[in-house]
Amino acid sequence: MTPPDEDLFAPEVIADPYTYFGRLRETDPVHWNPVSSLWIITRHEDLTWLVRHHELFSSAVIRNDPRPPYPPIEAGHQPLFEAVRTFRADQLVEQDRPGHLAMRNAVHEYFTPTAMESWRPFVRRAVADLLDEAAPAGGMEVLTTLAAPLPVRIITEMMGVPNDDREHLRALADKLLYINRGEPNRMAPLMEGISGMIDYVAPKVDIRAREPANDFISVLARAEQEGVFTRHQVLVNTALLLFAGHETTMNLICNGTLALLRHPDAWRSLVTDPEGLARQATEECLRYDPPVKSTQRIAAVDVERRGKTIRKGDRIRWIMAAANRDPRVFPDPDRFDLTRQPNLHVSFGAGIHYCLGAALARIEGQEVFRALAERFPSLRLAGGPLEYQPSIQFRSLKALPVTW
Amino acid sequence: MEPALQITVDHHRCVGNGQCVSLAPAVFAHNEAVQSVVHDPSGAPEAVVLKAARFCPTGAIRVADAAGRLLFPPENAP
Repeated sequence: MTPPDEDLFAPEVIADPYTYFGRLRETDPVHWNPVSSLWIITRHEDLTWLVRHHELFSSAVIRNDPRPPYPPIEAGHQPLFEAVRTFRADQLVEQDRPGHLAMRNAVHEYFTPTAMESWRPFVRRAVADLLDEAAPAGGMEVLTTLAAPLPVRIITEMMGVPNDDREHLRALADKLLYINRGEPNRMAPLMEGISGMIDYVAPKVDIRAREPANDFISVLARAEQEGVFTRHQVLVNTALLLFAGHETTMNLICNGTLALLRHPDAWRSLVTDPEGLARQATEECLRYDPPVKSTQRIAAVDVERRGKTIRKGDRIRWIMAAANRDPRVFPDPDRFDLTRQPNLHVSFGAGIHYCLGAALARIEGQEVFRALAERFPSLRLAGGPLEYQPSIQFRSLKALPVTW
Repeated sequence: MEPALQITVDHHRCVGNGQCVSLAPAVFAHNEAVQSVVHDPSGAPEAVVLKAARFCPTGAIRVADAAGRLLFPPENAP
Protein backbone atom coordinates (compact mmCIF):
# COMPACT_ATOMS: atom_id res chain seq x y z
CA MET A 1 0.00 0.00 0.00
CA THR A 2 1.23 3.49 -0.76
CA PRO A 3 -0.19 6.17 1.47
CA PRO A 4 -1.57 8.71 -1.02
CA ASP A 5 -0.10 11.62 0.92
CA GLU A 6 3.31 9.94 1.44
CA ASP A 7 2.90 10.19 5.22
CA LEU A 8 5.72 8.08 6.63
CA PHE A 9 3.87 7.93 9.95
CA ALA A 10 0.65 6.57 8.39
CA PRO A 11 -0.69 3.73 10.56
CA GLU A 12 -0.34 1.19 7.74
CA VAL A 13 3.35 2.11 7.22
CA ILE A 14 4.07 1.91 10.96
CA ALA A 15 2.33 -1.49 11.13
CA ASP A 16 4.04 -2.81 7.97
CA PRO A 17 7.02 -0.84 6.68
CA TYR A 18 8.02 -3.63 4.30
CA THR A 19 5.26 -3.21 1.73
CA TYR A 20 5.59 0.55 1.30
CA PHE A 21 9.39 0.83 1.43
CA GLY A 22 9.72 -2.38 -0.59
CA ARG A 23 7.67 -0.82 -3.38
CA LEU A 24 9.87 2.28 -3.31
CA ARG A 25 12.95 0.04 -3.51
CA GLU A 26 11.62 -1.52 -6.73
CA THR A 27 10.11 1.55 -8.40
CA ASP A 28 12.01 4.63 -7.20
CA PRO A 29 15.05 3.65 -5.10
CA VAL A 30 16.25 7.24 -4.65
CA HIS A 31 12.93 8.83 -3.78
CA TRP A 32 12.12 12.40 -2.77
CA ASN A 33 9.38 12.49 -0.13
CA PRO A 34 7.75 15.93 -0.29
CA VAL A 35 5.83 15.56 2.98
CA SER A 36 8.86 14.92 5.19
CA SER A 37 11.19 16.84 2.81
CA LEU A 38 13.80 14.14 2.59
CA TRP A 39 15.28 11.53 0.26
CA ILE A 40 14.46 7.89 0.91
CA ILE A 41 17.14 5.33 0.03
CA THR A 42 16.00 1.72 -0.06
CA ARG A 43 18.34 -0.50 -2.12
CA HIS A 44 21.08 -2.49 -0.41
CA GLU A 45 23.74 -1.30 -2.87
CA ASP A 46 22.79 2.37 -2.49
CA LEU A 47 22.54 2.14 1.26
CA THR A 48 25.97 0.59 1.77
CA TRP A 49 27.47 3.13 -0.66
CA LEU A 50 25.87 6.02 1.22
CA VAL A 51 26.78 4.85 4.71
CA ARG A 52 30.39 4.05 3.82
CA HIS A 53 30.95 7.50 2.28
CA HIS A 54 30.95 9.63 5.41
CA GLU A 55 32.77 12.39 3.51
CA LEU A 56 29.69 12.79 1.29
CA PHE A 57 27.01 12.37 3.96
CA SER A 58 27.16 14.08 7.35
CA SER A 59 25.88 12.54 10.57
CA ALA A 60 25.33 15.93 12.23
CA VAL A 61 21.61 15.63 11.67
CA ILE A 62 19.97 16.82 14.87
CA ARG A 63 21.64 20.21 15.11
CA ASN A 64 20.95 20.85 11.42
CA ASP A 65 17.32 19.78 11.39
CA PRO A 66 15.01 22.81 11.25
CA ARG A 67 11.77 20.83 11.40
CA PRO A 68 9.42 21.00 14.38
CA PRO A 69 9.13 17.81 16.41
CA TYR A 70 6.91 15.14 14.90
CA PRO A 71 4.54 13.81 16.11
CA PRO A 72 3.75 17.30 17.54
CA ILE A 73 4.49 18.13 21.16
CA GLU A 74 2.50 20.10 23.71
CA ALA A 75 2.37 23.85 23.41
CA GLY A 76 4.95 25.33 25.75
CA HIS A 77 7.31 22.35 25.49
CA GLN A 78 9.44 23.93 22.74
CA PRO A 79 12.18 24.99 25.23
CA LEU A 80 12.35 21.40 26.46
CA PHE A 81 12.66 20.22 22.88
CA GLU A 82 15.53 22.67 22.28
CA ALA A 83 17.29 21.49 25.45
CA VAL A 84 16.95 17.85 24.34
CA ARG A 85 18.32 18.83 20.94
CA THR A 86 21.39 20.54 22.42
CA PHE A 87 21.98 17.46 24.52
CA ARG A 88 21.60 14.99 21.66
CA ALA A 89 23.80 17.00 19.28
CA ASP A 90 26.79 16.02 21.46
CA GLN A 91 26.17 12.29 20.97
CA LEU A 92 28.94 10.29 19.32
CA VAL A 93 26.52 9.22 16.57
CA GLU A 94 26.01 12.89 15.62
CA GLN A 95 29.70 13.65 15.01
CA ASP A 96 31.63 13.78 11.74
CA ARG A 97 35.33 13.31 11.14
CA PRO A 98 37.82 14.47 12.15
CA GLY A 99 36.25 14.88 15.62
CA HIS A 100 34.46 11.56 15.42
CA LEU A 101 37.64 9.53 14.87
CA ALA A 102 39.28 10.39 18.19
CA MET A 103 36.00 9.97 20.06
CA ARG A 104 35.24 6.61 18.48
CA ASN A 105 38.80 5.42 19.10
CA ALA A 106 38.49 6.30 22.77
CA VAL A 107 35.51 4.00 23.29
CA HIS A 108 35.96 1.44 20.50
CA GLU A 109 38.26 -0.96 22.35
CA TYR A 110 35.74 -1.45 25.14
CA PHE A 111 33.23 -2.86 22.62
CA THR A 112 35.32 -5.10 20.35
CA PRO A 113 33.92 -8.61 19.71
CA THR A 114 36.76 -10.09 21.77
CA ALA A 115 36.04 -7.79 24.71
CA MET A 116 32.28 -8.36 24.51
CA GLU A 117 32.72 -12.15 24.40
CA SER A 118 33.98 -11.93 27.99
CA TRP A 119 30.50 -10.60 28.93
CA ARG A 120 28.69 -13.65 27.56
CA PRO A 121 28.60 -15.51 30.91
CA PHE A 122 27.09 -12.43 32.60
CA VAL A 123 24.49 -12.09 29.84
CA ARG A 124 23.64 -15.79 30.06
CA ARG A 125 23.15 -15.58 33.81
CA ALA A 126 21.02 -12.44 33.53
CA VAL A 127 18.77 -14.13 30.95
CA ALA A 128 18.45 -17.23 33.15
CA ASP A 129 17.55 -15.10 36.19
CA LEU A 130 14.83 -13.24 34.31
CA LEU A 131 13.38 -16.46 32.89
CA ASP A 132 13.51 -18.09 36.36
CA GLU A 133 11.35 -15.27 37.66
CA ALA A 134 8.95 -15.58 34.73
CA ALA A 135 8.68 -19.38 34.53
CA PRO A 136 6.02 -20.12 37.19
CA ALA A 137 3.43 -17.87 35.52
CA GLY A 138 3.20 -20.03 32.40
CA GLY A 139 3.40 -16.98 30.17
CA MET A 140 4.83 -13.48 30.00
CA GLU A 141 4.74 -10.16 28.28
CA VAL A 142 8.16 -10.33 26.60
CA LEU A 143 8.90 -6.60 26.56
CA THR A 144 8.44 -5.81 30.26
CA THR A 145 9.53 -9.20 31.59
CA LEU A 146 12.65 -9.86 29.54
CA ALA A 147 13.47 -7.49 26.68
CA ALA A 148 13.48 -4.20 28.64
CA PRO A 149 15.15 -5.28 31.91
CA LEU A 150 17.91 -7.39 30.33
CA PRO A 151 19.87 -4.63 28.54
CA VAL A 152 19.50 -2.26 31.50
CA ARG A 153 20.97 -4.91 33.79
CA ILE A 154 23.92 -5.36 31.45
CA ILE A 155 24.58 -1.68 30.73
CA THR A 156 24.38 -0.64 34.36
CA GLU A 157 26.90 -3.39 35.15
CA MET A 158 29.16 -2.00 32.41
CA MET A 159 28.76 1.46 33.93
CA GLY A 160 29.79 0.09 37.31
CA VAL A 161 26.50 1.03 38.97
CA PRO A 162 26.20 -0.45 42.48
CA ASN A 163 23.21 -2.71 43.19
CA ASP A 164 21.48 -0.14 45.37
CA ASP A 165 21.28 2.28 42.44
CA ARG A 166 19.91 -0.19 39.90
CA GLU A 167 16.25 0.73 40.35
CA HIS A 168 17.04 4.43 40.03
CA LEU A 169 18.93 3.83 36.77
CA ARG A 170 16.17 1.61 35.48
CA ALA A 171 13.64 4.38 36.07
CA LEU A 172 15.91 6.83 34.23
CA ALA A 173 16.36 4.35 31.37
CA ASP A 174 12.57 4.09 31.04
CA LYS A 175 12.34 7.88 30.76
CA LEU A 176 15.04 8.02 28.08
CA LEU A 177 12.86 5.72 25.97
CA TYR A 178 10.60 8.74 25.35
CA ILE A 179 13.12 9.74 22.63
CA ASN A 180 11.20 7.23 20.52
CA ARG A 181 7.62 7.91 21.61
CA GLY A 182 4.74 9.83 20.10
CA GLU A 183 2.91 11.23 23.13
CA PRO A 184 2.52 15.05 23.01
CA ASN A 185 3.93 15.41 26.55
CA ARG A 186 6.95 13.16 25.90
CA MET A 187 9.55 15.95 26.24
CA ALA A 188 8.86 16.22 29.98
CA PRO A 189 9.78 12.64 31.00
CA LEU A 190 12.59 12.61 28.45
CA MET A 191 14.16 15.72 29.98
CA GLU A 192 13.73 14.20 33.46
CA GLY A 193 15.63 11.15 32.23
CA ILE A 194 18.41 13.25 30.73
CA SER A 195 18.76 15.52 33.78
CA GLY A 196 18.64 12.52 36.07
CA MET A 197 21.44 10.85 34.13
CA ILE A 198 23.58 13.99 34.24
CA ASP A 199 23.05 14.35 37.99
CA TYR A 200 23.82 10.70 38.59
CA VAL A 201 26.82 10.28 36.30
CA ALA A 202 28.69 13.58 36.86
CA PRO A 203 30.03 12.74 40.35
CA LYS A 204 30.89 9.19 39.16
CA VAL A 205 33.07 10.67 36.43
CA ASP A 206 35.00 12.68 39.02
CA ILE A 207 35.55 9.55 41.10
CA ARG A 208 36.62 7.49 38.09
CA ALA A 209 39.00 10.22 36.93
CA ARG A 210 40.84 9.79 40.25
CA GLU A 211 40.35 6.05 40.68
CA PRO A 212 39.96 4.32 37.32
CA ALA A 213 38.15 1.00 37.32
CA ASN A 214 37.22 -1.55 34.70
CA ASP A 215 33.99 0.17 33.67
CA PHE A 216 32.70 2.30 30.84
CA ILE A 217 32.60 5.52 32.87
CA SER A 218 36.34 5.10 33.54
CA VAL A 219 36.91 4.86 29.79
CA LEU A 220 35.07 8.14 29.24
CA ALA A 221 36.73 9.82 32.24
CA ARG A 222 40.12 9.00 30.77
CA ALA A 223 39.05 10.32 27.36
CA GLU A 224 38.02 13.55 29.06
CA GLN A 225 41.42 13.83 30.76
CA GLU A 226 43.06 13.32 27.37
CA GLY A 227 40.98 16.13 25.90
CA VAL A 228 39.01 13.91 23.52
CA PHE A 229 35.63 14.42 25.21
CA THR A 230 34.28 17.49 26.99
CA ARG A 231 32.49 16.85 30.28
CA HIS A 232 29.19 17.48 28.55
CA GLN A 233 30.07 14.88 25.93
CA VAL A 234 30.99 12.36 28.63
CA LEU A 235 27.59 12.79 30.27
CA VAL A 236 25.68 12.78 27.00
CA ASN A 237 27.38 9.64 25.75
CA THR A 238 26.85 7.74 28.97
CA ALA A 239 23.15 8.46 28.57
CA LEU A 240 23.39 7.52 24.89
CA LEU A 241 24.87 4.18 25.84
CA LEU A 242 21.99 3.53 28.20
CA PHE A 243 19.36 4.55 25.64
CA ALA A 244 20.92 3.06 22.51
CA GLY A 245 21.59 -0.27 24.16
CA HIS A 246 18.12 -0.35 25.72
CA GLU A 247 15.74 0.55 22.89
CA THR A 248 17.51 -1.48 20.21
CA THR A 249 17.98 -4.61 22.31
CA MET A 250 14.33 -4.49 23.36
CA ASN A 251 13.38 -4.46 19.69
CA LEU A 252 15.80 -7.23 18.74
CA ILE A 253 14.37 -9.50 21.43
CA CYS A 254 10.70 -8.70 20.74
CA ASN A 255 10.90 -8.63 16.93
CA GLY A 256 13.08 -11.73 16.87
CA THR A 257 10.82 -13.68 19.21
CA LEU A 258 7.82 -12.68 17.12
CA ALA A 259 9.50 -13.75 13.87
CA LEU A 260 10.54 -17.09 15.35
CA LEU A 261 7.06 -17.82 16.69
CA ARG A 262 5.37 -16.81 13.44
CA HIS A 263 7.54 -19.34 11.60
CA PRO A 264 6.95 -22.67 13.35
CA ASP A 265 9.43 -24.56 11.17
CA ALA A 266 12.19 -22.15 12.12
CA TRP A 267 11.20 -22.32 15.78
CA ARG A 268 11.25 -26.13 15.70
CA SER A 269 14.74 -26.08 14.15
CA LEU A 270 15.97 -23.78 16.90
CA VAL A 271 14.39 -25.96 19.59
CA THR A 272 16.16 -28.98 18.09
CA ASP A 273 19.58 -27.29 18.19
CA PRO A 274 19.49 -24.10 20.29
CA GLU A 275 23.21 -23.78 20.76
CA GLY A 276 24.10 -24.59 17.17
CA LEU A 277 21.52 -22.29 15.58
CA ALA A 278 21.45 -19.34 18.01
CA ARG A 279 24.01 -17.40 16.02
CA GLN A 280 22.35 -17.75 12.62
CA ALA A 281 18.91 -17.26 14.14
CA THR A 282 20.03 -13.95 15.62
CA GLU A 283 21.42 -12.76 12.27
CA GLU A 284 18.19 -13.70 10.48
CA CYS A 285 16.09 -11.97 13.16
CA LEU A 286 18.26 -8.88 12.71
CA ARG A 287 17.71 -9.00 8.93
CA TYR A 288 14.05 -9.92 8.82
CA ASP A 289 12.62 -7.33 11.22
CA PRO A 290 15.47 -5.03 12.29
CA PRO A 291 15.42 -3.10 15.61
CA VAL A 292 16.24 0.11 13.73
CA LYS A 293 14.24 0.59 10.54
CA SER A 294 16.03 3.65 9.28
CA THR A 295 18.58 6.35 10.09
CA GLN A 296 19.37 9.80 8.73
CA ARG A 297 22.19 11.68 7.08
CA ILE A 298 22.58 15.15 5.54
CA ALA A 299 24.34 15.55 2.19
CA ALA A 300 27.69 17.32 2.71
CA VAL A 301 28.06 18.02 -1.02
CA ASP A 302 25.95 17.73 -4.17
CA VAL A 303 25.76 14.03 -5.11
CA GLU A 304 24.31 12.22 -8.15
CA ARG A 305 22.69 8.82 -7.69
CA ARG A 306 20.47 6.94 -10.12
CA GLY A 307 19.86 10.05 -12.19
CA LYS A 308 18.77 12.15 -9.21
CA THR A 309 20.70 15.08 -7.77
CA ILE A 310 20.91 15.14 -4.00
CA ARG A 311 21.84 18.71 -3.07
CA LYS A 312 24.18 19.73 -0.28
CA GLY A 313 22.09 20.15 2.86
CA ASP A 314 19.33 17.75 1.74
CA ARG A 315 18.19 15.31 4.37
CA ILE A 316 18.30 11.59 3.61
CA ARG A 317 16.67 8.66 5.34
CA TRP A 318 18.10 5.24 4.56
CA ILE A 319 15.83 2.32 5.20
CA MET A 320 17.62 -0.75 6.52
CA ALA A 321 14.29 -2.56 6.70
CA ALA A 322 13.98 -2.22 2.90
CA ALA A 323 17.64 -2.98 2.06
CA ASN A 324 17.44 -6.14 4.19
CA ARG A 325 14.71 -7.43 1.85
CA ASP A 326 16.47 -6.46 -1.39
CA PRO A 327 16.08 -9.43 -3.78
CA ARG A 328 19.33 -8.41 -5.54
CA VAL A 329 21.21 -9.50 -2.39
CA PHE A 330 18.90 -11.91 -0.56
CA PRO A 331 17.31 -14.82 -2.46
CA ASP A 332 13.63 -15.13 -1.53
CA PRO A 333 14.00 -12.07 0.74
CA ASP A 334 10.61 -12.22 2.45
CA ARG A 335 11.29 -15.76 3.65
CA PHE A 336 12.48 -16.10 7.26
CA ASP A 337 15.34 -18.57 6.84
CA LEU A 338 17.72 -19.54 9.64
CA THR A 339 20.10 -21.19 7.14
CA ARG A 340 20.70 -17.99 5.13
CA GLN A 341 24.44 -17.79 4.39
CA PRO A 342 25.98 -15.30 3.96
CA ASN A 343 23.55 -12.96 5.67
CA LEU A 344 24.65 -9.48 4.55
CA HIS A 345 22.01 -7.52 6.47
CA VAL A 346 22.69 -3.87 7.22
CA SER A 347 20.88 -3.71 10.56
CA PHE A 348 23.94 -2.31 12.35
CA GLY A 349 24.66 0.18 9.55
CA ALA A 350 28.15 0.30 8.04
CA GLY A 351 31.12 2.62 7.70
CA ILE A 352 32.67 4.69 10.47
CA HIS A 353 29.43 4.77 12.50
CA TYR A 354 28.86 0.99 12.40
CA CYS A 355 26.98 0.21 15.61
CA LEU A 356 29.41 0.39 18.53
CA GLY A 357 27.32 -2.13 20.46
CA ALA A 358 26.87 -4.65 17.65
CA ALA A 359 28.95 -7.40 19.26
CA LEU A 360 27.06 -7.03 22.54
CA ALA A 361 23.68 -6.97 20.77
CA ARG A 362 24.57 -10.18 18.96
CA ILE A 363 25.49 -11.90 22.23
CA GLU A 364 22.26 -10.71 23.87
CA GLY A 365 20.18 -12.00 20.94
CA GLN A 366 22.02 -15.33 20.85
CA GLU A 367 21.66 -15.91 24.57
CA VAL A 368 17.97 -14.94 24.65
CA PHE A 369 16.85 -17.00 21.64
CA ARG A 370 18.90 -19.96 22.79
CA ALA A 371 17.48 -19.79 26.33
CA LEU A 372 13.89 -19.40 25.13
CA ALA A 373 14.22 -22.44 22.86
CA GLU A 374 15.86 -24.53 25.60
CA ARG A 375 13.47 -23.64 28.39
CA PHE A 376 10.16 -23.09 26.63
CA PRO A 377 10.03 -25.33 23.54
CA SER A 378 6.24 -24.95 23.49
CA LEU A 379 6.50 -21.15 23.38
CA ARG A 380 3.71 -19.52 21.32
CA LEU A 381 2.06 -16.16 20.78
CA ALA A 382 -0.73 -15.41 23.23
CA GLY A 383 -2.76 -13.64 20.56
CA GLY A 384 -4.24 -10.20 20.42
CA PRO A 385 -3.35 -7.32 18.13
CA LEU A 386 0.27 -6.17 17.99
CA GLU A 387 0.99 -2.45 18.01
CA TYR A 388 4.16 -0.50 17.23
CA GLN A 389 5.43 2.84 18.53
CA PRO A 390 4.78 5.62 15.98
CA SER A 391 8.45 5.92 15.02
CA ILE A 392 10.06 5.97 11.61
CA GLN A 393 13.45 5.14 13.12
CA PHE A 394 12.76 2.26 15.51
CA ARG A 395 10.71 -0.88 15.00
CA SER A 396 9.34 -1.06 18.52
CA LEU A 397 6.51 -3.34 19.62
CA LYS A 398 4.45 -1.91 22.47
CA ALA A 399 3.94 -5.38 23.95
CA LEU A 400 4.40 -9.05 23.03
CA PRO A 401 2.42 -11.55 25.14
CA VAL A 402 3.47 -15.21 24.91
CA THR A 403 2.61 -18.45 26.70
CA TRP A 404 4.23 -21.86 27.04
CA MET B 1 63.53 -8.85 7.63
CA GLU B 2 60.93 -11.10 9.18
CA PRO B 3 58.75 -13.20 6.89
CA ALA B 4 55.43 -11.57 6.12
CA LEU B 5 52.25 -12.27 8.03
CA GLN B 6 49.35 -13.83 6.14
CA ILE B 7 46.48 -11.38 6.50
CA THR B 8 43.04 -11.83 4.94
CA VAL B 9 39.90 -9.69 5.07
CA ASP B 10 36.52 -11.39 4.68
CA HIS B 11 34.44 -9.08 2.49
CA HIS B 12 31.22 -10.77 3.57
CA ARG B 13 31.98 -9.34 7.00
CA CYS B 14 33.90 -6.10 6.33
CA VAL B 15 31.62 -3.06 6.75
CA GLY B 16 34.18 -0.34 6.11
CA ASN B 17 34.41 0.76 9.75
CA GLY B 18 37.99 1.87 9.07
CA GLN B 19 39.60 0.91 12.38
CA CYS B 20 42.23 -1.22 10.61
CA VAL B 21 43.04 1.55 8.14
CA SER B 22 43.43 4.14 10.89
CA LEU B 23 45.53 1.83 13.12
CA ALA B 24 47.78 0.37 10.38
CA PRO B 25 47.52 2.60 7.29
CA ALA B 26 50.54 1.01 5.60
CA VAL B 27 48.99 -2.46 5.91
CA PHE B 28 45.31 -1.85 5.15
CA ALA B 29 43.63 0.36 2.58
CA HIS B 30 40.04 0.84 1.48
CA ASN B 31 39.03 -0.20 -2.03
CA GLU B 32 36.41 1.59 -4.14
CA ALA B 33 33.62 -0.11 -2.22
CA VAL B 34 35.18 1.19 1.02
CA GLN B 35 36.07 -2.30 2.12
CA SER B 36 39.46 -3.10 3.57
CA VAL B 37 42.14 -4.76 1.44
CA VAL B 38 45.66 -5.78 2.45
CA HIS B 39 48.11 -3.38 0.90
CA ASP B 40 51.39 -4.42 2.56
CA PRO B 41 51.41 -7.25 5.14
CA SER B 42 54.85 -6.09 6.35
CA GLY B 43 53.78 -2.47 6.76
CA ALA B 44 53.48 -2.58 10.56
CA PRO B 45 54.82 -4.63 13.48
CA GLU B 46 52.93 -7.84 14.23
CA ALA B 47 51.47 -6.36 17.44
CA VAL B 48 49.90 -3.49 15.48
CA VAL B 49 48.42 -5.85 12.89
CA LEU B 50 46.96 -8.01 15.65
CA LYS B 51 45.48 -4.93 17.31
CA ALA B 52 43.90 -3.91 14.00
CA ALA B 53 42.41 -7.41 13.69
CA ARG B 54 41.10 -7.32 17.24
CA PHE B 55 39.57 -3.85 16.69
CA CYS B 56 37.58 -5.00 13.65
CA PRO B 57 33.96 -4.74 14.86
CA THR B 58 32.83 -7.65 12.70
CA GLY B 59 35.82 -9.99 13.07
CA ALA B 60 36.59 -9.76 9.36
CA ILE B 61 40.38 -9.89 9.69
CA ARG B 62 42.31 -13.14 10.01
CA VAL B 63 46.03 -13.15 10.74
CA ALA B 64 48.43 -16.09 10.47
CA ASP B 65 52.20 -16.21 10.69
CA ALA B 66 54.38 -17.02 7.69
CA ALA B 67 54.04 -20.74 8.46
CA GLY B 68 50.24 -20.48 8.43
CA ARG B 69 49.77 -20.74 12.20
CA LEU B 70 46.64 -18.81 13.17
CA LEU B 71 47.37 -15.75 15.35
CA PHE B 72 43.91 -14.11 15.24
CA PRO B 73 41.09 -14.79 15.89
CA PRO B 74 41.61 -17.14 18.84
CA GLU B 75 40.79 -20.74 17.91
CA ASN B 76 37.55 -20.83 19.88
CA ALA B 77 36.18 -17.53 18.54
CA PRO B 78 32.86 -17.41 16.67
